Order: sequence, then structure tokens, then C-alpha cells
Amino acid sequence: MNIDIEIVEHNSVIKVSVRGEIDVYTAPKLREILFPLAEKENANIIVNLSDVIYMDSTGLGVFVGVFKSVRSNNGKFQLVGLSGRIKRLFEITGLAEIMDINSRMEGESL
Amino acid sequence: MENQSCVLIQTEWDIVAARQLGRNVAKEVGFGTVDQARITTAISELARNIYIYAGEGQVCIEKIIKNGQAGLRIVAVDKGPGIPDIRLAMEDGYSTSGGLGAGLPGVKRLMDDFEIDSSLGSGTEIKASKWIR
Amino acid sequence: MAFRETMELKYQEILKNYIKDQSETALYQGQKFSRKSIENQVTPEEIISLHKQLLEDMYPDLPKYVVHSFDILLEVILPYGVAYRENQSLRDQKRELRSEIEIAANVQQTLLETKVPVVDGLDIGAISVPAKHMNGDYYHFVQDENNSISIAIADVIGKGIPAALCMSMIKYAMDSPLENRPEPSSVLENLNRVVEQNVDPSMFISMFYGMYNHDRHIFSYASAGHEPGFFYDGKKDEFQEIHAKGLLLGIDKKTKYIQYEKQINQGDMIILLSDGVTECRTDEGFIEKEVLMTYIKKYADLSSQEIVTNIFKEFERRQNFQLRDDFTLIILKRDV
Repeated sequence: MNIDIEIVEHNSVIKVSVRGEIDVYTAPKLREILFPLAEKENANIIVNLSDVIYMDSTGLGVFVGVFKSVRSNNGKFQLVGLSGRIKRLFEITGLAEIMDINSRMEGESL
Repeated sequence: MENQSCVLIQTEWDIVAARQLGRNVAKEVGFGTVDQARITTAISELARNIYIYAGEGQVCIEKIIKNGQAGLRIVAVDKGPGIPDIRLAMEDGYSTSGGLGAGLPGVKRLMDDFEIDSSLGSGTEIKASKWIR
Repeated sequence: MAFRETMELKYQEILKNYIKDQSETALYQGQKFSRKSIENQVTPEEIISLHKQLLEDMYPDLPKYVVHSFDILLEVILPYGVAYRENQSLRDQKRELRSEIEIAANVQQTLLETKVPVVDGLDIGAISVPAKHMNGDYYHFVQDENNSISIAIADVIGKGIPAALCMSMIKYAMDSPLENRPEPSSVLENLNRVVEQNVDPSMFISMFYGMYNHDRHIFSYASAGHEPGFFYDGKKDEFQEIHAKGLLLGIDKKTKYIQYEKQINQGDMIILLSDGVTECRTDEGFIEKEVLMTYIKKYADLSSQEIVTNIFKEFERRQNFQLRDDFTLIILKRDV
């Protein structure tokens, strides 16, 4: 039930680091923070999930919403640092094919 | 019947000045210690809102009489951003600045009458009165 | 208010008694007084003010610093009283909401009921338990004249009334009598367009749709991002995850769904589920899929309905009777 969200803006790239759990209790907070960012024209957002220990379909809902919004505002949206379990969630739902979840993070080795 | 004094709210110290004014007027009107504390707390909350959200505004304290009953009215005005959703701001449990007890629902509980007018871009005006029982 | 008139005298008595004796009895009287005060909406600051006033009356030589200390105590305690009242109000609102939700859940259940079909040679069991009041999972069976069974299992992401309405869309689409029952991929494609158009952008649906042809014993199916179920091969005694790829409903109206087919032999099982089963968590971590398979084997000789019910009970126990997510499990066994 705990979530920690940190935002760093660098060279017009917005890097969001999420720590903790994304579930029905914490997803609203994540939504509140991400949605306004996604509504800006030409946004470039990278969300780092390497410290997320659990995410369920409510988290998916937030990211789908962000994805749709960024897409309609000609922006870019990437998710990085997904654990095996979370990656699987995106793969099963077919979202892995339409969203960018495979980019490497800076400094991450192959 | 109006008998009004005002404090300009620009710094955090002005909140203290508004409290002091409120307490003095409350004493003059004849409120007991507990009601003085309630009125002062309400003024504190309203002045603090102005200071934090609007940056600048004014708190006026008026002596009022209605049907032979004496009372006190707080008028808190600012030209700040306004409250986007008044209903939400008046809901219990909703607080942008802290836990329970704070905020506009708190002021409403401390006073007898409460009126609010606010719109995006035009600022906020809040009137709250308390009567001697 | 009658209480307030006697309140001052009552508190004075308690205060005097305690100052004199510091007895447990006086403290107990104090607690009873508290309860009555709270019932009568006396605020904490009123108690402190009363306390100070009584002290001043009883001890005219009371040091100034004691008097001042009570004044600041009153101011500090005042917001606690406000917070308390807000809390009470929130509790009342919660109670109201809960009864509204219970009504909604009952409506949902009535409108969306589905019967498990009874078909020769097929043993079908189904269970769906919501984690809270309203169920975000949905399943529906349709049986047609050729004894073919259509089955849909869906997980609506997004809750409450809108989710329930989505489910009734699915039910309506499936129940409509059609000359040629459309294939699973067409069903999903149609539903996808309907959902995309009509549903809140933050809501979407994962769904698995299958049709069991009773004469040829072929199960054709398609999935829209739904948690994969399993086939159980009776001869080889092996489980195999159902691979069916497809995008969630409601994301892109042009989505196409691939249809798959599987021959179902005697002794084989089709196991369908929602992610409430595979995402089960205990304090030690996730309950893995292998656990599910172990349970299925454990209860394999029972009827399908008994299997699903027993498995649910096991999972419920392992989660200390607190479901985190809606749990849906369906098993179709070919007997003959």
C-alpha cells in the first residue's frame, strides 16, 4: 500500500521513478502525478519501475491512460526497469506490443 | 451594524496579527474563553489559507448584531487562484494541507454560519460568523 | 441539554475526589463521565476550560503559570476536537456508502446471473468470488441447440457500476439469438469496438472467449489480453498453458484477434481463470501456478464444481481469508 514517486526533469526529458506498490490504493496517486505530465504537448516521459515490488491491473490502467494521452499529444512515453513479473503483465495483455517497455535504462548492461 | 477592522495578510506574521485582532474583538463582544479560542483558530486557518494559496489577501473582523443578538463576523478575501471545486474543498477528509481537522470543513465546525464564494481566476471570499448564545 | 446542566457539578465532584484520593474509583468515574460527554457532543476544549475554571475556584492562590498553561493547552487541544468530529462524520458517510454498495452488488448479481450448463459428457464447474462487494470478474455461459457451449470469462479493470454495465454488454451480446453463432475472434473484435467507443478511457477489459463444439469436441478460442488458463492432457498427465495472444478490449478499435483450436479428448480438462488466481499473494510471496496444478490433481477425481470450490477454499485459507483480488476459476472436463 505504499508508494513513493520522484520526478526529475533533465533536458526536457521527464524521468519518473516509482518505488513501492502500484495497486488500487496507490494507483490514484500515480495517476494524479502522471496525467498532467502526459497532457503536455510533445512530452517525453520515462517511468522507471525497477523499485516497484508489486503492480496489478490498476497500475496497468494508469499506464494505458498515460500512453493514450501522450500519443494524442505527440509525445513519447517509455517504461524501464520492469521486473519479470510486471513485464509478463504487459505481455499477456498485449500492451507490450504497443507500448515501449523494452528500452534499456541508462547504465544498464545488456 | 458594522464595526470593522482589517489585517492585510502578506507574511506569516500577519496571521498572528489577525488572530490577535480576532481575539480582542471577541473579548469586546463578550465571548467566553472557549469561543474566543474557536474564533481565533478559525481566523488562523482562513488567514493561513490566504498566505499559502493566494500569497496575499485580507482578513476583516466585524462586530455584528441581529435580532438583539451580538456576534462577530470574519471576512477573509483574496485575489488568489480561487478554489476549483468548492464541493470537494468542503468535504470531510479532503485536505490539501494536512490531516484531519484542518481546512474549510474545520472552520465551518468552529463557527455558527459559513458562506463561501470562489471561482477560478477571481479569488475567494469567505464569511463566517459566531453568535453569543 | 440536561447533561450540560449537571456536567459541571459532576466533573467538579470527580476532580475533587481524585485530587483528594487518587483512587481508581475516581478514574473510573472519570471514564464514565467521558463517555457521556462524548455522547453529548461536549468538545475537548470545553472540558479543559471547565477544568481550569474549577481549579481557579477551588484554589484562589493558584499560581499564574498554571492558569497560563491551561490557556495554551486549550488552544492546542482545540484542533483535536475538530479532527475528531470530522472523523465521526467520515464514519457515518462510510456506513452510508457501504449500504449503497451492497445494494449495487445485489443488483449486479441479479442482472448478470449465469447458469452453468449441463451437457452430456462435459462436467463443468465454476466459481467467482469478489474480493470486495462488487465483482470485477465476470463469466457467462451460453448453450445452444447443438449442445455447443460458449464461454466468456472477463476481468473488467475499473470498478463499480460502470464495470457492471460493461458486463451486461457482454452478456447481452452473447445471449442474443443468432442464426450462425459468430466465431470467437469475431466476438472479441465486435466487443472491442463497442467497448472502445462506449467506455471510459480509464476502463478496459481482458477477456477470453471460447466455443466448445460438442459433436467434434473441438474447443476454439481467442483471448483479449486475458490471463492464460491451462489445458490438461489426461493421457500424458500434463498441464499446458493456453497460448492465445491478443490486446485488451477497448484500447484500439482496429485490433484483430487470432483464433486457435484444440482437440479435447476424454479425460482432458480446460481450466480458465482470472488473475485473482495467479496473482494470489501471501506474506511469503506469490502462490505460484504450480500450486494451482497440484490442487487440481489433488481433487481430480471429484466433480468439476467440487474441484473449483475446494481450490478456492485452499487459496482463501492461504491468504488468511482476505482476498486481494476477485477470484474466478472455471473447469471443463470431458468425461466421455
